[in-house]
Amino acid sequence: METKVRVTGLRKRYGAIEALRGVDFTLQAGQIFGLLGPNGAGKTSTLECVLGLREPDAGTVEICGLDALRFPREVKRKIGVALQSTALQDKITPREALNLFGAFYPEPEPTLRLLERFDLVAKADAAFESLSGGQRQRLALALAFVHRPEVVILDEPSTGLDPQARHELHAEIRRMKCDGYTVLLSTHQLDEAAALCDRVAIIDQGRIVATGTPHELVASAASGQAVRFTASQPIDPASLNRIPGLRALRSEGLSVYFETDEAAPVVTALMVLLAAQGATLWELEVKRSSLEDVFLKLTRPENKSMIHLA
Amino acid sequence: MNGLREHLGQSLRLHFRNRMALLYGYLFPLIFLVAFWVLYRHEKIPLIRHMGELLTVSVLGGACFGLPTTLVSERERGVWRRYRLTPLPTWAFVVSTALARYVIILSAGALQLGLALSLGMPLPAHPLDLWVAFTVVSFAFIGLGLVLAMLADNVPAVQALGQCIFLPMLIIGGVAVQLASLPTWAQHVSAFFPGRYAVEALQACVAGVGLESIGFCLLALALIGVAGCSAGAKLFRWDAAQRFAASNGKLWLVPVLGAWLAVGLLAEVRDRIAVSIDGATVAAPVATMPAPLPLPPWTKITAKDVAALDFRVPSDGGVVSPFAGPEEEASDYTKDEVEAVRQGLLTWRPGLEGDDVQRVRNLVCVAAVPDSIQQPVERYLPPVVLSHLQEIYPKDKLIKILTWIVLHPEDGSVIDSIADLGVQGTAGDPAVVRERSYLYSIKFILRITGRIDR
Repeated sequence: METKVRVTGLRKRYGAIEALRGVDFTLQAGQIFGLLGPNGAGKTSTLECVLGLREPDAGTVEICGLDALRFPREVKRKIGVALQSTALQDKITPREALNLFGAFYPEPEPTLRLLERFDLVAKADAAFESLSGGQRQRLALALAFVHRPEVVILDEPSTGLDPQARHELHAEIRRMKCDGYTVLLSTHQLDEAAALCDRVAIIDQGRIVATGTPHELVASAASGQAVRFTASQPIDPASLNRIPGLRALRSEGLSVYFETDEAAPVVTALMVLLAAQGATLWELEVKRSSLEDVFLKLTRPENKSMIHLA
Repeated sequence: MNGLREHLGQSLRLHFRNRMALLYGYLFPLIFLVAFWVLYRHEKIPLIRHMGELLTVSVLGGACFGLPTTLVSERERGVWRRYRLTPLPTWAFVVSTALARYVIILSAGALQLGLALSLGMPLPAHPLDLWVAFTVVSFAFIGLGLVLAMLADNVPAVQALGQCIFLPMLIIGGVAVQLASLPTWAQHVSAFFPGRYAVEALQACVAGVGLESIGFCLLALALIGVAGCSAGAKLFRWDAAQRFAASNGKLWLVPVLGAWLAVGLLAEVRDRIAVSIDGATVAAPVATMPAPLPLPPWTKITAKDVAALDFRVPSDGGVVSPFAGPEEEASDYTKDEVEAVRQGLLTWRPGLEGDDVQRVRNLVCVAAVPDSIQQPVERYLPPVVLSHLQEIYPKDKLIKILTWIVLHPEDGSVIDSIADLGVQGTAGDPAVVRERSYLYSIKFILRITGRIDR
């Protein structure tokens, strides 16, 4: 499979702060690749170096086979970008913005086609200041597509969007994949990464600490299943501790939390125990480990081990 | 080129949708012009004397406030950060931004000129030259505006930096206060400011001899413009997060300041500091009218002609044609100047002219020229001139000659400068000198005939 983006040994220092400490990742053609990380992890610095907004101290960025640091103008013709908050002039209209940005490229996409694709026809001649957050984000995406890019780079695209606009955005990103685009997506929203990305890289303190498909990352970091139940009366912890396979027990009021490798026998034993104590089960929840668990686990200060999968 | 053209067009469209930009870019210069007009409204053609200054203020405002304010506010919004992600090179954005601003300034200048014409100002003497000079002036100030935009981290900083340039340029840079009214040290300082050359260049095209006399001004402005635009492009900041203090390339400010310094030093070396810099130009009459048509000789003036004159003139204590009273003594500052004129008149060549009417006309100019450029000495010279005239002509003859001048104000030639009598400054506009000569001739007749006793 063709490699569209290859980042190797990227380093960036701001004074005494080392923001990037050797970031490496690759992005294959047709994939949606998510760059995940908490605030200050180096996500923005990585993207800025990839986009040419900042010059890295060391490392290489290769996009569509071109050295992005040596041929920035050529690379800019290959990529389409939607920044976290694309701000345009208050009085510019979507039609004008698309015409303007299209003029910066040799073979722009027809403006009307972009307006239709991103559902902006009704607002084509409205001032930017009058657009809703979702419409502005759709315009940002349309601007990224004015020149039929090979790689689309989206920097936290759903920030500040309402649930409906977010849903529409996710549908659009899935459509990009169907149309064969390669997408690099920076986000701190784990559900977004899990729902959209073929592969994700988790970045923390300037380093990639895990890469792989969401499923692989969850499987690799799996710590069993989490169980939560609420009973009609307090349950004696000592009696719960006698159930085989139960660990990390804690209680909050009538709710009890614990972990286990195999939920089925533990829950059966729990039912017997509750019946014996005359308690009624009000709520029961059994949850597998999620990408969020992996993320939290890997970005905790005490855990710096790296996970690299397919 | 397509991108540059589209960005230029879009910048203009957005400008014309911005009410505040229209207010400051168009209405403000017009208000400024009307203020001048109101100030001098009793004169026949006053605005032509101030178009150089008025147009310079418009260019200065548009380039040093309008341009950086727009640029910095768009940078703060993140618009330029988004532009940076496109393949269009930096120079194309700089050029289109500068061109858009030039079109805006040019349209504001044209509007201002149109209003002046509608208020009675005569057509500029050299319209094409005026456009060339206006373009060079705009180039110089747009370069300056670009540098200000790169220095300012935010919009309030633009206002602060802009004022640092605007006010000195207005007050001691020869833009709002005429150079002739400035002390010598300020005239030296003004040589380092582009405003002086802008006013001089524009005024020469509106009411002077045009481009042929302003080579140095155009060179100075072009040098300042090249330095400013180059530095503006090199210092270009796309992102509000890039603070100027932390940015590289601050050394590009050196050529900007160097250009101002070089222009000032060159002016010093070429002895262009004093207002009457070019003896030949200054000493020569600004305009010589065609040879007078055969007219009835002044000797045919009768008492009836004198009595029929319109003696309504501005008050002696006003701004126009002031006249010191008999008890009024010149200040220490102007006393020597008055005395030098009194002595100089005895041997002053235009005052020894063979033709009586032209001789008196020349002598009346000694009062009219300082008044037209508002020299501090202006009110003390008319009594000196009147006294001199009364010494060299009998009363009746003098009344007839002065009446003739009043009745034929457009005849003969007028003097543009009396620098050879020790009073610096150049009137620039012969029409104003003729107007003031007319007023002083009447005031002289009033005194000689005893209609007023001062």
